[in-house]
Amino acid sequence: MSSNDPDFFRILRVLVSHDVDFIIVGGVAAVIQGVPVTTADLDIVHLRTAANVERLLAALDDLAAHSRLDARRLRPDASHLLSPGHQLLTTDAGLLDVLGEIAGGHDYETLVAGTADIEVGGRRVRVLSLEQLVETKSRAGRPKDLAAVQLIRHAIQERDRRT
Amino acid sequence: MSDSETRGPDERAHAGESAHASGLPVFADDGTDLTVIRWMLGLSPDDRLRWLQNHMRAVARIGHVQQRP
Repeated sequence: MSSNDPDFFRILRVLVSHDVDFIIVGGVAAVIQGVPVTTADLDIVHLRTAANVERLLAALDDLAAHSRLDARRLRPDASHLLSPGHQLLTTDAGLLDVLGEIAGGHDYETLVAGTADIEVGGRRVRVLSLEQLVETKSRAGRPKDLAAVQLIRHAIQERDRRT
Repeated sequence: MSDSETRGPDERAHAGESAHASGLPVFADDGTDLTVIRWMLGLSPDDRLRWLQNHMRAVARIGHVQQRP
């Protein structure tokens, strides 16, 4: 398994099996909710408490996660995961970005109210809602985010038309 | 993989024609093909994630072919 042959189901299964508190954000969150965008990595925002970081480290160990920016294949440690920074990782099930905060200071605790509880691969996971994705991507303001915002808005309209 | 996920573009096009016949717009003002969004919304979350993974694998295969001498 490699970044060319991702298994996001396995990453999610491992995170859930370790009771990690996390929110799926970014492109995968959009796809799970019906937006036809493409992305190469799974982005999550995790709860930055010592206990959750310990569980997350155990999950990342199971996934053989290491930095994809460093030729030494450094593994993240607790200090990395307690920080608001972004850990861009390669795992044996694909690319995983572990984010302390997104879009200018939004962390797990501020985002969790805007999540949907969705079953993926037989397990319930928290996914950032389409409305919150619009807000965070609009705030990020990069061209790739703004292009996705348009699609997400159309998906929200189509979803709401169905209900 | 479910039937809905493996449905091809021809069938999606047909779905678009049906949507047009039903009075729903096929394209948004910005050119977005709304039939693709409707097709995606018709899948389960699992099938949507499989669609993404299959897409990534297809892109990787194309990259490998292009790299051949």
